[in-house]
Amino acid sequence: MVILSRADDQCVTCHNSIEDKPSLLFKNDIHQQNGISCADCHGGDRKSEDADQAMNKKIGYKGIPKGNDITKTCSECHNNQAKMKRFGSSIKTNQLEFFATSVHSGGSIDGGEWIAQCITCHGAHGVSSVKSMQSPVHPANVVKTCTKCHSDPSYMKKYNPSLPVDQLSKYHTSIHGSLNKKGNIDAAECASCHGSHNIYRPADTRSTVNAVNLPSTCAKCHSDVQKMKKYNIPTDQYKKFAKSVHGKALLEKHDLGAPACNDCHGNHGAIPPGVESISNVCGTCHALNADLFASSPHKKAFDQRKYPECETCHGNHEIVATTDALLGVGVGSVCSKCHKSNENQKGFVAAQFMRGLIDSLELSEKNAKGLIEEAQQKGMEVGEAKFKLRDVRQSRLESRTMVHAFNPEKFKDVVNKGLEAAQFVKSEGQSALDEYQFRRFGLGVASFIITLLAVSLFLYIRRIER
Amino acid sequence: MKKIFQWLDERFELDALVKFMGKKYVPIHSHSVWYYFGGVSLFLFIIQVITGILLLLYYKGGEDLAFESIQFIMSKVSFGWLIRSIHSWSANLFVLSAMIHMFSVVFERAYRKPRELTWLSGMLMFFLILGFGFSGYLLPWNELAFFATKVGTDIVGVIPMIGKPIMMLLRGGEEVTGATLTRFYGIHVAILPGMFTILLGLHLLFVQRQGMSEPIEFTNTPEHERETMPFFPNFFLRDLLLWLIVLNVLAILAVFFPWELGVKADPFASAPAGIQPEWYFMFMFQTLKMIPSHVLFIDGELLGIGLFGLAGLVWTLIPFWDRKTARGEHNRFINYIAFFAICYIILLTTIGWLS
Repeated sequence: MVILSRADDQCVTCHNSIEDKPSLLFKNDIHQQNGISCADCHGGDRKSEDADQAMNKKIGYKGIPKGNDITKTCSECHNNQAKMKRFGSSIKTNQLEFFATSVHSGGSIDGGEWIAQCITCHGAHGVSSVKSMQSPVHPANVVKTCTKCHSDPSYMKKYNPSLPVDQLSKYHTSIHGSLNKKGNIDAAECASCHGSHNIYRPADTRSTVNAVNLPSTCAKCHSDVQKMKKYNIPTDQYKKFAKSVHGKALLEKHDLGAPACNDCHGNHGAIPPGVESISNVCGTCHALNADLFASSPHKKAFDQRKYPECETCHGNHEIVATTDALLGVGVGSVCSKCHKSNENQKGFVAAQFMRGLIDSLELSEKNAKGLIEEAQQKGMEVGEAKFKLRDVRQSRLESRTMVHAFNPEKFKDVVNKGLEAAQFVKSEGQSALDEYQFRRFGLGVASFIITLLAVSLFLYIRRIER
Repeated sequence: MKKIFQWLDERFELDALVKFMGKKYVPIHSHSVWYYFGGVSLFLFIIQVITGILLLLYYKGGEDLAFESIQFIMSKVSFGWLIRSIHSWSANLFVLSAMIHMFSVVFERAYRKPRELTWLSGMLMFFLILGFGFSGYLLPWNELAFFATKVGTDIVGVIPMIGKPIMMLLRGGEEVTGATLTRFYGIHVAILPGMFTILLGLHLLFVQRQGMSEPIEFTNTPEHERETMPFFPNFFLRDLLLWLIVLNVLAILAVFFPWELGVKADPFASAPAGIQPEWYFMFMFQTLKMIPSHVLFIDGELLGIGLFGLAGLVWTLIPFWDRKTARGEHNRFINYIAFFAICYIILLTTIGWLS
């Protein structure tokens, strides 16, 4: 590549004289500003004043690159570290590598070329630096650029009919969207979350918006103390979430059933859930608990006091695994925060009662399990009782749900089912252990009789052989 | 008692039978103890038949019922646990006792003329006993049995030409399924017992007709120096005494080590670690595991099966190729082979258990 002055470049001279659109746009192009000529992309002889000679295919004139040749043409420089260094560029040279694996490099409908080329987003003859407000991929413009395709239903249907096309309208309802609309480039736009050249489908584990990766994607900004300072938002959400039961399931066990940030806050229309909508948010997964809570006496009381429903007892980002300790009036219980022996006494008594029931169920289950294990260890067949033990556990799980009704009678019914099952298992276990003793006793009797017979036989044989 | 005997004697001429039994003598020598293992095997077979019939009263063949029916037998049926445990333990002791009986016959050269057919019927019964073990193992339809049967029938399928059709015939399809269970059930309770009873009848008839085999040294001893004991009642009562002891051992094993049922088979689950065949197949299984996948141009598994097949054939035909013993001479080579076989079985079984 020979860098010529604009005056020496006959392509520019000639095309400017006929005022064609590409050449006019090219005047402000960053490539033109760095001395890159039309011929560097289109081929031909830039020094020749003769149009036929300058655009002679025999000397390498390529004309307008088509399809993937466009991206290949760009990557001749952008994928070449040495060339980019010569222009003093700090742009990474691995864009093509990422792009080639991204969702946009999938086959277009005619199957012959990639869905998007470099110019689809960056433009062709008026390319500006990403940092320039002129660039279609500048944070202030990128939403418009992406939605050119992503908000066009007829276009999107050709590639992914199941993908919604309302992201832009949702985005504008979000805090991010409204800030972005005001020109705030701190606010997250499409590329902040989805990446730029390395965009993958959300289900792809490489995607920055894959459920497992999403919390750290959000945390890029939301854990940045400097960035968040001016918005007066805490920055410990990720740290708390990582410690929570949801975070551990998602980030450590990669359990995709566990919620990521977007499951509670939304994604394109991200907003913090309001006090009254919290139980609806949690209820999308914990549906039974939410229903029970909605019909419980707590619903009205919480609404009056403007308590954030689920969050009041369970917290928000740092929701730890619940234990029976939360229930009751002892140390660590959440009921005792509001219900005391001398204040809100009805709830105090109910909490104490329900805790007593769940404790007795747990103890019964433990005893039943112990008996069954002992019998099994002694070689007794207790398959049926072991199966029934599941009912006790099931009842304990159900009681943990039923607690959200805050109705001692309903709670008692559920616990009683478990206590009955535990009683059955205990009696089966005890029978098996009694049977174990009976077998040993029976063996002793049988062995005695057999030995007696054997000794008699032995003595008889000796007598007849004497 | 005398009157009952007379009543029966009038009708069935039992007197002649008693006189025949009274004339039957058992040689006494330093190896007489081995004679008892035939009787013990017979006793264990009787136990198998009785407990097997009792299990049939409650056992239900079929993929969805087999495991549950055994679970029911073990936990709900009175003494069901005892019957099943005795059936399982006596099956194992039966194989062991038959094995000891077989090796003692070889060491004593009891297969030599004129007892070639007694040996042959015994060997065929031994193969049927292994068949009983293999088919019965699957019947509880538990995880271990399911995968062991899968591996076992897979091995059969390796045999060229006939292997695949035999495997399909055994399984009742490409895979081990409920159809396999039904087949194994039929084989275990009808086909094998029928064949075994015929062979057992012949075997006992031969023994009764030809009497107990005597060691070569014993036949070379002058007649007046040979010691014998009447079969009835002396030997018979000793047999009975041993049977009582075996019965007590079975009861102790059943009470202290009840046969476990395990987990129900799930054909869609992956095979659990540590799948092993019954101990009496372990040496063959271990050998097949240790043979490289290819030996020269031959498939390793096929080579192993071929060698075991050949060894089994040579072993079964001992009376027909051991001419030296047939001439009344002592053939040490047979001792070496039998000794090698015992060491091989013990060693490979131990390796199999430890690995």
